[in-house]
Amino acid sequence: MRKFIFKRLISLVPILLGISIITFALLQLVPVDPAEVYLRLSQIPPTEEAIAVTRAELGLNDPLHQQYIQWVKNVFSLDFGKSFVTRNPVLEELLYYFPATIQLTLTSLVLVIIISIPMAILSALYKDTIVDNIGRCFAFLGASMPSFWVGLLLMYVFSLKFDLLPVAGRGSIKHLILPSFTLALGSVATYTRLLRTTLLENFKENYVLYGRTRGLKEGFILLRHVFKNAILPVITAFGMSMGYMLAGSVIVENVFAWPGVGRYIISAIFNRDYPVIQCYVLIMAVIFVLLNLLVDILYGILDPRIRIGGDE
Amino acid sequence: MRKAKWHVLFICLAVSASILLAGCGSNNQPVAQEQGEATTQEKILTISWGQDMGELNPHMYSPNQMFAQDMVYESLVRYGEDGEIQPKLAEDWEISPDGKEYTFKLRKDVKFSDGSSFNAAIAKKNFDVVLSNAERHNWLELINQIEATEVVEEYTLKLVFKNPYYPALQELALIRPLRFLGEAGFPDNGNTAEGIKQAIGTGPWVFSEEVKGEYAVFTKNEHYWGAEPKVDKIVIKIIPDAETRAMAFEKKEIDLIYGSGLISLDSFKQFRDSGKYKTDISNPLATRFLAINSNKGATKELEVRRAIQHAFDKQTFIDAVFYGTEKKADTLFASNFPYCDLGLEAYDYNLEKASLLLEEAGWKKGEGKEFREKNGQLLEMEFNFDSDDAIQKSIGEVLQGDLKKAGIKLNLVGEETASYAQRQKDGNFNLIYESNWGAPYDPHSFVSSMRTPAHADYQAQIGLPMKSEIDAKITEVLLSTNEEERQELYAYILETLHEQAVYLPISYRSNIAVHHDYVSGVVFFGTQYEMPLANIDL
Repeated sequence: MRKFIFKRLISLVPILLGISIITFALLQLVPVDPAEVYLRLSQIPPTEEAIAVTRAELGLNDPLHQQYIQWVKNVFSLDFGKSFVTRNPVLEELLYYFPATIQLTLTSLVLVIIISIPMAILSALYKDTIVDNIGRCFAFLGASMPSFWVGLLLMYVFSLKFDLLPVAGRGSIKHLILPSFTLALGSVATYTRLLRTTLLENFKENYVLYGRTRGLKEGFILLRHVFKNAILPVITAFGMSMGYMLAGSVIVENVFAWPGVGRYIISAIFNRDYPVIQCYVLIMAVIFVLLNLLVDILYGILDPRIRIGGDE
Repeated sequence: MRKAKWHVLFICLAVSASILLAGCGSNNQPVAQEQGEATTQEKILTISWGQDMGELNPHMYSPNQMFAQDMVYESLVRYGEDGEIQPKLAEDWEISPDGKEYTFKLRKDVKFSDGSSFNAAIAKKNFDVVLSNAERHNWLELINQIEATEVVEEYTLKLVFKNPYYPALQELALIRPLRFLGEAGFPDNGNTAEGIKQAIGTGPWVFSEEVKGEYAVFTKNEHYWGAEPKVDKIVIKIIPDAETRAMAFEKKEIDLIYGSGLISLDSFKQFRDSGKYKTDISNPLATRFLAINSNKGATKELEVRRAIQHAFDKQTFIDAVFYGTEKKADTLFASNFPYCDLGLEAYDYNLEKASLLLEEAGWKKGEGKEFREKNGQLLEMEFNFDSDDAIQKSIGEVLQGDLKKAGIKLNLVGEETASYAQRQKDGNFNLIYESNWGAPYDPHSFVSSMRTPAHADYQAQIGLPMKSEIDAKITEVLLSTNEEERQELYAYILETLHEQAVYLPISYRSNIAVHHDYVSGVVFFGTQYEMPLANIDL
């Protein structure tokens, strides 16, 4: 097990190197000059002299490979450079905004768990009844509505019309409700359907029939046997989904003025703030790899049959 | 054993739940706001903005937000609503007859927010540090023209110029980079370009609290020399999305929306039409227009350029696209700009006139043909625009339909920003979308740039027979020291450009204001980023 984890962590190195080269190269393909964007943000007419001065200031005049090598060198000492726009150290800024995003993502995950598991179980138990159909409707709607629209709609209904919740911002638990629900909605839809399907498949297995012949109660069979088997593929998807949620919070954060890293990154993209984009992509890559690893480990804990390395 | 495994999951959940609650526990609301209603009679005005304020360095640009810099720092002179220069930190000034020396008498009752006094010495220190970083500011002609600064007396400051430069006062009124930081705000090495210690200014507000990404708080400056602001605090909530901002306003989480581009035109229209809120539009601040190329294809002909002016139904376009939130523009600069009240005759919407002009120029419509022709050549031209900008695109679409009625074929060419900018530089267009800089830069900055070959304006004008004369007069006007002569020169330049029809003015951009009825004192100032916050009462 340890060997496995170690191997996976080692594999991070080439992945990160590859990703950093690709982002570096892709950013250079963007036709808009960050120096020009900076001048525009500053309300300065982008004359050629002004652009030249700004490019020199931002260190954009060195040849590309030199810029990259310098960047990698700095990264080893955890120096990701300074933001073109705010002129503050990038890592410091990202770490400042990360807690809000993690808070939002974790709340959404909890919401996904407490909504989708019972809904899936009910849908599976009462297959093709009104309960199942309501679940199905909800799932289709949830999966197909874009989150900025859902967000504004919820805001309109719950904040404006019924005056129950604040419109935007961060502060109390009340502020957390709408954004986390908006972020959770898409995943709730997906997991409800996924879990329902795997539950139904498992109901057809022989061990269920065997359990029934032993006179076990349906509920007991469901929770004790079927659910445990059915949850495995869901956990895989869930691990990835955590990463997607972290990354996907961009839109929700923007709509609800949630001061998280997503909002920070979206303005960085608009402003061609290369150091911020590069640092963010690297951090997200590390998170994705680690989440995958975590899922694999969890798998082993939940199901001894596929335990890796056979060290138990 | 099995139970233990499930415990792992439960522990994970419990840990995440506790993190969440811990996160929620940190109360991030502006302290003042929550105590406000309960304990004191403090008046708090809440507005919103899309970005953080920045460190509020008076001598630097982004990420410092201009309206916030304007709240904390003041200039020597002020640009009035009608373009007139008014006293501010300088109560009076004298200009030497050769136009090269400006002597400012400073107010004696001005104190910085830390209690230190404002005088010629600190003013000179600020000027000098900005001049020492001149290359960052070389976009601003004023900086290139200042040769020396001098403390004449404790409250008298002299600026010496390399050449007479008449827009000096206008540019001294700018929000940045020539406003004044208190001594205690300077960094140890003295170079403010690398950052400041603290935002200490002479303005009515003090930047007192900030939670990045969430809000900023400004409190009244106790040492302010001018009229005391009517509210005690201003809370600025950071809300990036325009629709969210509109809803926050409706829910009274925000008291006032002031500026341009902060809410969608649809929201503005809805607020205006609902009758529940107060809405208003400022005087023109800048112009949207198309430059018509006098050096390419069919638009080389004066009659064709004039026909385009008459064929475009601007008012209908403005009503449909801007919901009347922008005023129709008939001239390149609105008449409230300095030297621009020339009484030029507008090209009215008149299809017959347009057709007549084209007929006279030999562009005839054949039987059953949609478009005019001359010597077998189709009357055809290109409109080049930035495809990311919805407004430019709709201008193109409406103009295409209008010109078709006059028998002109307009091809729409939308491209991404960089290619569009390239066309401006090399003149590869018939019609191209542009916007001028607005107050207080105009008309002098925009007119000045007409002499630069890498500008769409230069490119659009090179086909004019009198282009060299126009350029000479522009150079002359910027150096002129006589008010009457200057007015005459501007009259020549602007009249010629108007008669030659190289610009198709569309609308004047303005600031909008939307507020609840308990907010009073909302007025408009002369420039885009000055907010009338000190006038506002609740």
